[in-house]
Amino acid sequence: MRLVTGVIKPFKLDDVKTALEAFGVQGMTVSEVQGFGRQRGHTEVYRGAEYEVSFVPKVRVEVLCEDADAHDVLEVIAKSALTGSIGDGKVWCTPVDDVVRVRTGERGVEALS
Amino acid sequence: MRLVTAILKPFKLDDVKSALEAIGVQGMTVSEVQGFGRQRGHTEVYRGAEYTVDFVPKVRLEVLVDDADAGGVIDAIVSTAQTGSIGDGKVWSTPVEDVVRVRTGERGADAL
Repeated sequence: MRLVTGVIKPFKLDDVKTALEAFGVQGMTVSEVQGFGRQRGHTEVYRGAEYEVSFVPKVRVEVLCEDADAHDVLEVIAKSALTGSIGDGKVWCTPVDDVVRVRTGERGVEALS
Repeated sequence: MRLVTAILKPFKLDDVKSALEAIGVQGMTVSEVQGFGRQRGHTEVYRGAEYTVDFVPKVRLEVLVDDADAGGVIDAIVSTAQTGSIGDGKVWSTPVEDVVRVRTGERGADAL
């Protein structure tokens, strides 16, 4: 199995969720995170003083899937989260050696479907 | 080493924490997350209008362990977090190549 993780712009979450559901993904986990990339945040002016916003709010999306689906899930996230401007985020995939569905104790691929 | 990650019902966190402490786990990270599984959230009625709750609040628990301990940690989490009803969550383990304790710079199993 694989864990596909995407760090994306928060307003793109609905699009990504819809695209993943259309692809047939059975579940996902979402968390609010902060980060920066090559741009290293940006500066904002508030009441005349300049502040550096070093961490930009992002959403982290995690999807567990079978090895064969990992590439497609990654593409689906990358396409649906794309705006073309800086800060679109990253998507990556890591190997997972064991998965258990807590309710039933099912293991491996059975725990995903 | 292995990183064992669990997505659980938030009210089960205390039980799971106690169970992991009982088997000698030295540390863990917990974060509040949201997610959905096969049930795709549920609908709730508030003041007569029906709302779809797509993302259900969950707790993510992460534990770094030795390879040999991963099975025991997964079993401990699964048996304490199980309620038998939908939305109990998932537990998985991923290989970890390197771990460093930031304070001392210790690496690998020493850092755990």
